[in-house]
Amino acid sequence: MTQSKVIRLTDAQRDCYQEITNVAMGQAADRLARLLDVYVVLPIPKVNLIEASELHMALQDARGDDGLSAVCQGFIGSGIAGEALLLFNDTSVQDLASLLNYQGQRSPWTTEELLMDISSLLTGACINGLGDQLGIHFNQSHPEIIGRGRRAEELLKSGPYPWHQTLAIEIHYSVEHMNIDCTVLLLFTEDSVPKLNKKIDFLLD
Amino acid sequence: MTTRVLICDDSGFARKQVARALPPEWEKDILFAADGHEALELIRAGYGDVVFLDLTMPGMDGYGVLEIIRREDLPAMVIVVSGDIQPDAQDRVKKLGAMAFIKKPIDTEKAREVLTEFGILAGG
Repeated sequence: MTQSKVIRLTDAQRDCYQEITNVAMGQAADRLARLLDVYVVLPIPKVNLIEASELHMALQDARGDDGLSAVCQGFIGSGIAGEALLLFNDTSVQDLASLLNYQGQRSPWTTEELLMDISSLLTGACINGLGDQLGIHFNQSHPEIIGRGRRAEELLKSGPYPWHQTLAIEIHYSVEHMNIDCTVLLLFTEDSVPKLNKKIDFLLD
Repeated sequence: MTTRVLICDDSGFARKQVARALPPEWEKDILFAADGHEALELIRAGYGDVVFLDLTMPGMDGYGVLEIIRREDLPAMVIVVSGDIQPDAQDRVKKLGAMAFIKKPIDTEKAREVLTEFGILAGG
């Protein structure tokens, strides 16, 4: 590892990332809560600098060893870019589908539709919420399903990644009194982190 | 009369954001608390005429603080400032006795509106 490239976060920067994420994830949870007519439990988000080699461990910590479905959505704006991963346990996807289909607002959702729509809703609102607070307009790509019923390390086989170390923001959502939960993992590119830190410092000033 | 204001949030950035959003014409002394327990101690000691309270905090969260304020009948007017803006969260805190709910990020206009609505700040 080259020492010169190591990125660091001060406590104040980490706190600020956490707080603006807290606001953005709250906006996303509100949209999910209204769609499902449930209450979404919001824990404190995790903000970490991680090595590429640690990514699958981060995923495993976030989601355990069960079969996972994952949707990926890219975002870019003001020279800051990254990917949002939405991770669901397969049992959660089934429960979510039955909940939505039971409400009978429309024709039954296919699993693909469900994954894509929930990703657009949750990661879309998170990214917009962060962008609003940072004064960045992020353009987002169409969601893409990168795996269903897979293990965390299988989902990440598409590596190696073009970065060594990056900023990872991990948001865990669960639906109260139900067996539905998911994780949104925001991964910024290595080059984006210094620019993002500048925006954060501006907010802290 | 100077109002004793308490701002309770686990995030230092959020505490500063709330303090900066308070109307400059409002005569006040501000104290800060980083968690629910600290907030309750200060409220019991009489430093929380008006409390700006976050909901999501490690240890004792905002709901816990509201419950104890009600149980002990503490003289605090609580304005919840939260990122959890779900209809359910807003209902719950109102039922627990919070005076008002402000969505994060808070700004001066919204703070002034709420403070005026409840007669804490003179209108006009």
